[in-house]
Amino acid sequence: MRLRLSLALAALLLIGPARLAGQDRRVADRLDPITAGEVQRLVDSARVVGLPTEPLVQKALEGNTLGASGDRIRAVVAALYGQLSRARAALGGQASDAEVTAAAAAIRAGVPADTLQRLRALRSGRSLVVPISVLADLVAEGTPPDRAYQSVFDLARDGRSDDDFLALRRRSQVPSQRAGPDAGEPPAPRPAPDPPGKP
Amino acid sequence: MTFMPGDRRPQPDDPTLRRVVAELRRPVAFDPAIDAGALRVIGAGRRRATWARSRRWLGLAAALAASVVIAVGVYRTAPAGPRSRPVLLRLVAPASSAVVVVGDFNDWNPAANPLEQTGAGEWTIRLELRPGRYRYTFLVDGREWKSDPAEPPAPDDDYGAPLSVLTVS
Repeated sequence: MRLRLSLALAALLLIGPARLAGQDRRVADRLDPITAGEVQRLVDSARVVGLPTEPLVQKALEGNTLGASGDRIRAVVAALYGQLSRARAALGGQASDAEVTAAAAAIRAGVPADTLQRLRALRSGRSLVVPISVLADLVAEGTPPDRAYQSVFDLARDGRSDDDFLALRRRSQVPSQRAGPDAGEPPAPRPAPDPPGKP
Repeated sequence: MTFMPGDRRPQPDDPTLRRVVAELRRPVAFDPAIDAGALRVIGAGRRRATWARSRRWLGLAAALAASVVIAVGVYRTAPAGPRSRPVLLRLVAPASSAVVVVGDFNDWNPAANPLEQTGAGEWTIRLELRPGRYRYTFLVDGREWKSDPAEPPAPDDDYGAPLSVLTVS
């Protein structure tokens, strides 16, 4: 009897933190209940299938801070979930969360999965965070995709450092972006939405 | 020695009594091997009883320790991995009275990272970030979003505010 009681208590001690791990207080505290529930469901699902969960949380919190509606937040987080899934499938189970997050941004920008896989093969054993992030930036900024892929592949094939990839991106930035803060104010921004809080 | 009426007085030469007394006074000698074996059996019994008592507590302690390990692993805010690197963010906003930065590195919390005015119209903040890709924006005077002109714009500005991307190697 005592042994059973001990086993039950041990199970509770082990399961308790695991169950609590599925609940992100940041989401529950800052989003409306419906949105928080949907985001939490996606986060739980991501954890089960081995996707990084933090990008999903951050995307939801971003929407809250920027004053987006619950509907919009749910749609954006769900879309990101899909991008993370495709990124994980492209890079494999050994890829780090940071690599998968960067790859999701690249897929969002239009980089095909097989391009990511080729980059993985060219840079085996080294982090892909910076190369993929630079690739995503180049494509998103309008660099012709083939030229962007070839530039990044060349650096990866030569075993160049992360700083070399960042230098490539700086060289590719359009003049208004390369000018930096000393050049003066950026173009007129859009007005900020309402102050952060529950939508 | 007191004798009651009816008692039988001991007879000094009683052979039965002599035999009994001699038998009682005879020293008993055991084989030392038997002594050691008996002690081992007794000791093992005691150890089994002690182990049975402590096993329950050891089980609970192990479960508690495992629970703590899991909890620490789950709740720690800074995941293990590459070391963080200092990053300096800067915005020139001469007519502003307050600038904060929100992004993937601070839960998009406007209260987390206010910039300091470090020059004429220049606002800066130094962050420690792990390698990764971060999206962020500045909030000026609590009402105006401004991207960082020193970094690429984020292509995924899903919520309509101008964002920048910072890649930390």
